[in-house]
Amino acid sequence: MSKINDILSPFTAWKNLVKEPVTIKEPLKREAAPRYRGFHKNDIETCIGCGTCESICQNAAIDLVPVEGIETKDGDSGLRPRIDYGRCCWCALCVDMCTTNSLSLSNHFKWVDTDPEVFRFTPGVDKKEWDNEEAGWKKPGSNYELYSKERTHMPELKPDNRDKSFIEIVQGYSKEQAMEEADRCVECGICVATCPAHMGIPEYIKAIRNDDLNEGLRILYDTNPLPEICGRICTHKCETVCSVGHQGDPLSIRWLKRYIADQNPSENYKQILETENMQKNGKKVAIIGSGPSGLSAAHYLALMGYECTIFEKLPQAGGMMRYGIPEYRLPYESIDKDVNYILSLGVEIKYNVTVGKDITLEDLNKQFDAVFSGTGLHLGRSTRIPGTDHPNVYQAVDLLRDIVLGNEVPVMKKIVVIGGGNVAMDITRSLARLQNQKFGKVDTLATSLESENEMPADREEVIEAREEYAIVEPGWGPVSIEMEDGKIKGLNVVKCVSVFDENRRFSPKFDENQTNFFAADMVVESIGQGMDLTYLPENIKENLKMDNRGRIVVNADFQSSLGWLFVGGDIIQGPDVIHGIANGHKAAMGIDKFLNNR
Amino acid sequence: MKTSKRFKINEDRSLFPPKNKDGKIDVDLSSGKYLKLWHGPQHPGITGNMSLELTVLGDEVMDCETHVGYLHRGFEKLMERRKYIQCFPIVCRVAVPEPDFNEYCFASGLEELAGIEVPEAAQWLRTLVLEMARLQSFLMWIGGQSGAFGMGVIGQWSIYLRDLVLDRFEELTGGRIYHMYIIPGGVRGLLPDGFRKRMEETLKTIDTFMVDIDKVMFNNAVFKKRSVGMGYIDPEWIYQFGITGPNARAAGVPNDVRKDFPYLKYAELDFEPVVGKDSDIYTRADVRRRDLLLSVDLIRQIMARIPDEGDIKAPTPNVLHWKVPQGETYRRAECSRGEYGYYMVSDGSEYPRRINVRGPSYTHAVALLEKMIINTNISDVAGLMVSLHTYPPEIER
Amino acid sequence: MTMKNNFEHIAQQFDITNVVAQRSDLTLLTVPSDKAASLITHLRDYEGYKHLVLLTAVDWIEQNQFQLTYLLSNPFKKVDVAVRTFIDREKAEITSIHHLWEQAATYQRELREMFGINFPGSPRVDKPFILEGWDQIPPYRRDFDTKKYSEETYFPRPGRETNDPREYMKKKLYPNED
Repeated sequence: MSKINDILSPFTAWKNLVKEPVTIKEPLKREAAPRYRGFHKNDIETCIGCGTCESICQNAAIDLVPVEGIETKDGDSGLRPRIDYGRCCWCALCVDMCTTNSLSLSNHFKWVDTDPEVFRFTPGVDKKEWDNEEAGWKKPGSNYELYSKERTHMPELKPDNRDKSFIEIVQGYSKEQAMEEADRCVECGICVATCPAHMGIPEYIKAIRNDDLNEGLRILYDTNPLPEICGRICTHKCETVCSVGHQGDPLSIRWLKRYIADQNPSENYKQILETENMQKNGKKVAIIGSGPSGLSAAHYLALMGYECTIFEKLPQAGGMMRYGIPEYRLPYESIDKDVNYILSLGVEIKYNVTVGKDITLEDLNKQFDAVFSGTGLHLGRSTRIPGTDHPNVYQAVDLLRDIVLGNEVPVMKKIVVIGGGNVAMDITRSLARLQNQKFGKVDTLATSLESENEMPADREEVIEAREEYAIVEPGWGPVSIEMEDGKIKGLNVVKCVSVFDENRRFSPKFDENQTNFFAADMVVESIGQGMDLTYLPENIKENLKMDNRGRIVVNADFQSSLGWLFVGGDIIQGPDVIHGIANGHKAAMGIDKFLNNR
Repeated sequence: MKTSKRFKINEDRSLFPPKNKDGKIDVDLSSGKYLKLWHGPQHPGITGNMSLELTVLGDEVMDCETHVGYLHRGFEKLMERRKYIQCFPIVCRVAVPEPDFNEYCFASGLEELAGIEVPEAAQWLRTLVLEMARLQSFLMWIGGQSGAFGMGVIGQWSIYLRDLVLDRFEELTGGRIYHMYIIPGGVRGLLPDGFRKRMEETLKTIDTFMVDIDKVMFNNAVFKKRSVGMGYIDPEWIYQFGITGPNARAAGVPNDVRKDFPYLKYAELDFEPVVGKDSDIYTRADVRRRDLLLSVDLIRQIMARIPDEGDIKAPTPNVLHWKVPQGETYRRAECSRGEYGYYMVSDGSEYPRRINVRGPSYTHAVALLEKMIINTNISDVAGLMVSLHTYPPEIER
Repeated sequence: MTMKNNFEHIAQQFDITNVVAQRSDLTLLTVPSDKAASLITHLRDYEGYKHLVLLTAVDWIEQNQFQLTYLLSNPFKKVDVAVRTFIDREKAEITSIHHLWEQAATYQRELREMFGINFPGSPRVDKPFILEGWDQIPPYRRDFDTKKYSEETYFPRPGRETNDPREYMKKKLYPNED
């Protein structure tokens, strides 16, 4: 039997009759919590259309669509995400994964419309009432990351170990480091368009992740026959547009390329790249210059069956790669590994043969079906300031070449280098090492027109030069070289205020009141390079179309107006190794087209 | 098996058909004595969608067959086509009313296979979220249990309290029902500003209302008459049917995963499993009521110790291509209904090989119910069903 | 740990192989399919693994096998053991254990429906459990393609079209290059 308490106790519920009801009076006006996952917002200026949101969406709710008014350019695909609200589950993984932090959610949750098509919308482009509100889900802080933002550290020699010798500074990734770095890639593919050779970058990074380095090598050689070299000294324009780089460190694409090339031994190349049995098609092509463009053209022509002969002026192959880049950045064995593979395809290099002297261009035209010229920019330019005709004023390109040739290089106690690019840093650091070896101490100073932040040299080059006790003084313009008793005393400079005018044209402005003097025994000029086209005889030159700056004009196949002469490399585009490689590849395709249409 | 004491069932069962060995009777439908009744799938006595096919003789149930599958979304098959991080947004939808246990078991199974350790702050936050999930699940159940016996007003109160808890979820996790908060590696946010204050207010409101609910529901002659002595679960059946949670504890078997296989921060919290003695509907309700108050107390303990700052996620490999090492594991947690578990098998690729979800209702609502329901009155079927605290989504996933 | 976790004392009797100590309280072991039921009975009656946690199957289609996992738990010593056994995929059949645990009948019914594994004698094993009117192969098998099924059975709302950033940039920025 139930007790009397059990009958009376429920009546206490009646006290609620006099209480205030708890129902929300205006439910439609209720605002959600600040962190609520509501409708999408996108900052379309910051968004780069990388598509990482599309990859991670588990219900395939996101499409990338072109938007009127947003143009495709380097680092921005021009596409923007369009979200289908019939499929979205509002998990906000797209927001957490967004590489530029442009995608976010508002805390709005009410949207009523009679037209079902509006619920597939492009946030940021289709304007909505919640676009400018702050509240909503944003990527959490406190070390919440869905992929690693920090680059795997690359081991390098310390300054004390490297300032006396030309041993390679960068030591390369181990397998574990390479896997860690390759893991950071989000496979967006934006880097491919920026690479001048359009290398298959996401694919070879994936090959590293799958530990399939043979496949990686194949992918590299599809577009680039010099991976050992590029893996060390490429200008890595791809890394500047890497989408991970917007909120973290960009992928070390260059070091990963080096990892693949290093891990494959040269004996196995022919077997891995399936070039063991090469068929010749009977046609012959002559190539002038064994720099990147020449070697690349030779490689791709040889793959198509052409018999290629390279005419190289210097004793060894490589062009500016060997004779312009110091050994501590690019060791000779790496150059040899890449060149030897190309030689193994049946390409012949004739060393110490200068076209224009030992053999003429007309001879090449007669003996070969086509000619590719990649002679490069190997003449140094001079500032022509008073005093540059002194014998102790040198060109950086000449000194760099002499170091490699093993010739005697003049090294004096005090050296001043004029220039702010990578070549200037190369010669500065090379001379610093030689000074260390000869005198036991470094006294080299590099000065440039550009200020510290505008210097065209890579940041690491400047930092490492200073670590090696060279001095870098940016922001000065050379005025004259002072002499005393027929010997150089030093360089007079004046403060440079700006280098380019509003139209980005070279037009330096100086402040005459601020001057300086850098003491020196010898001066090295490194302000630019010029081409040497003296091998073109007059009768060929008058039929060759040139532009008003003296450069040969070529079509998209790098074919000059003389159909049998193809030109590429630094004299057309660059100056860059990767542009040379891309040009050589396209010229090889062009030569093939030209010879097959004849 | 004890029969109901209150309704004077004719103890002389000589008119009734004889039972065979497994306690069931041979039902001859053409005799006209029996009626097949379809109870559900939409019925106030079921917190979800499942139906019972009852064979009744008069108003006494002779045979029952459960029909599930109204909410089969094929999650286990879907997850085989999605990368691990893409499985994360869908696991919470397996057991709809109490989603956090799915997220936790999936995340911790994956962390165990991949060898990742979750930081301190994240573990506390996970414990908090799990206890809040149990709390709101019990509150919803109170509404269901009282509603099954016709006391609709208590459901209004408890759903209001649940709404307050959902408000706390909303500001902590960004969602009310599907929180998607416990991600493999950690959690997705720290406590927002003012959360402690508002949480304490919510808990105080719950405390006040629970006193009222105690008076109105548990000290209620009608409720007692309908539930005491009904729906008896024999302690012998606990392992036969895999009964866990309050259903088992009300039969006197003190199994509680938080004590037996401690996970997250439960080893540092101070509590004892809530046990009952008479294994009838009333005791199960009372065990759940005390379990609810225990959850409130645990939340207070957790809030006293939870840090305001710290790492919320351990570094994981890039989730877009996360290859999990080969292996198998089973992770369990104590949800409001019993032992919730995920059995995960990975084969070394980016996609799971097999994920099997073990929900407590799988055994409670199918095999156990079909046994318990024999000889109950039709009007008690709803109350009996809810007293087992079934959530059908986890039966058919 | 007690010798309950090592299973060395019964390893030879039941041909137990591949014992993996996954955690301190979870051991995985493999047993041939003809000895599985007797090992499970032994574990339940003599070793104290009274609680059947779950019974499920994994499809190893590459090896043409199903793996059945019986997860047992010892509620007194608080340890688990996962008994794994492999059966042939074409003739998928194994002894039923519904006589040990009444709940096993439900698991076996689901496995019959979803994987096509037969448990002769299990009550109502042929009756559909979750699906209604299913006429294709058991859906949890890996050769059942859910994407293909959904494309054939349902139709999506038209109007979705996506672009790959890399292909699009190629089309816009360097369309003539190879």
